[in-house]
Amino acid sequence: MEIEFGARTDVGRARANNEDCFRAAPEINLFVLSDGMGGQSSGEVASRLASEAVIAHCCEAATNASLPIIGKRDEGVSDAANRLASAIRLANSAVRAAAQENAALSGMGATAVAVMLTNERASIAHVGDSRVYRLRNGELQQLTRDHSFVGEQVRQGLMGEEEASSSNLQNVLLRAVGADAEVQVEVNEELFAEGDTLLLCSDGLTKELSDSQIANVLAHIDDPQEAADQLVDMANAAGGGDNITVIVLRNAPRLVGAFQKIGRWFKGS
Amino acid sequence: MSKLTLKFENSVLNEVAVGPKEVSIGRSPDNGLVIDNPAVSHYHARVFNEDGRLMLEDFGSLNGTFVNGQRVKMVSLKPGDSVAIGKHTIIVSDSRDAADPIWKGGMQKPAAPKINETVMLDTKERREFLQKVAAVGESSQPAPSRVKVATLVVRKGSTDKREYALSDKLTVIGKSPMATVKLKGWFAPKAAAQINRREDNSYYIGAADRVPLVNGAPAVHPTKLAAGDVIEVAGVEMKLVYPD
Repeated sequence: MEIEFGARTDVGRARANNEDCFRAAPEINLFVLSDGMGGQSSGEVASRLASEAVIAHCCEAATNASLPIIGKRDEGVSDAANRLASAIRLANSAVRAAAQENAALSGMGATAVAVMLTNERASIAHVGDSRVYRLRNGELQQLTRDHSFVGEQVRQGLMGEEEASSSNLQNVLLRAVGADAEVQVEVNEELFAEGDTLLLCSDGLTKELSDSQIANVLAHIDDPQEAADQLVDMANAAGGGDNITVIVLRNAPRLVGAFQKIGRWFKGS
Repeated sequence: MSKLTLKFENSVLNEVAVGPKEVSIGRSPDNGLVIDNPAVSHYHARVFNEDGRLMLEDFGSLNGTFVNGQRVKMVSLKPGDSVAIGKHTIIVSDSRDAADPIWKGGMQKPAAPKINETVMLDTKERREFLQKVAAVGESSQPAPSRVKVATLVVRKGSTDKREYALSDKLTVIGKSPMATVKLKGWFAPKAAAQINRREDNSYYIGAADRVPLVNGAPAVHPTKLAAGDVIEVAGVEMKLVYPD
């Protein structure tokens, strides 16, 4: 498997500082994005602490397989996914500890979304409303559910999609890294097949661009870094009301894919 | 200072600030917030500040006042609360300018409306909200420890087993090493389709290299599976069952 990736973070056009953060450890195919919140500049501190704690824990686990998993193991997912959840729980402790040590950081928090790729398996762990999308055959699908008040209302059928996108409660999170002593991490696994593209993004992107705009960029720009740049530029052109961060991951199709397609023609399916 | 926004369906009808003086709510025109609807009492409820807290009191109205779905008599309000009176909704928000630590951005962006900033519900609010949604079948909590795991029973086609328990969150159908439902044959795709088990223990099937059929209909978009559904993909036919 050949993974290509591109990433970019931008302050946007309305904010004075960038509270988003991304980190990558390409040697273990790990990608992390976090969107911080808090007064003064503590949101920046929270998102950086969270991202770096996730990277550090997973990198340590890569060289020390006996590193304990923090929290309860989920038997329905791989070791990689359990490791990501463990890392976000650790990040939660790190953010809370920093907030307790320094009064100026009190009340800070962050979203976190982490993706680790193992062959064609994408392990995804997330807390908050930063998202993962997958583009497959030109179709964009959101793989994560927002841990937000509005997201939950939509899932409960109490609010329609349209109402949700115009709700003034869009920014109320139900889960965040640093909010409580224990954080409930959602873990999922997905197929990351040849030709698939994954997009990790903060809400600064999705508040400005529609799914079809995002799909269009990912489907037509092959180079992941160019695609990431284009998404950020478009979100800025649309207003840039919040910090914008994107990570684009591509499982580059190879020749074998072409042979399979020929095989499919023979089979007539 | 707190603000009350009166909404009917998607439209904002009125906005009032709650200062030192209380805001009465009702059908009579002398209320601070008038809701002209027969389901609303003439003097229905009031919102006022007390000891730095924003309070709501229902005046024993016939049809009641609901905060976040729960009928209330006297309750303290927080930004983000949704007060329902009849078919109208009153959204509580905080219009104060000082940076509150849970507002993302805080003091950096005084010109921006607070409405665009991300907040976390505090622990108590979050707990209350989650309790409320739990009462009507909550979707964000993990399923109970005794989860019912579905099984795929192969009815036609060439696979390495006849039955597969869908206990993993991801089940891939294909020839790939990561596939659970292993397809055989020269032209079998690496990943024909995938089945996801979600946090609420529902199953969804999605297309990968092939578009699967569910009960004969192509599942172009991720499609929820139910007991008894018949799945056809890449020459294999399987039935989803829940063993006793």
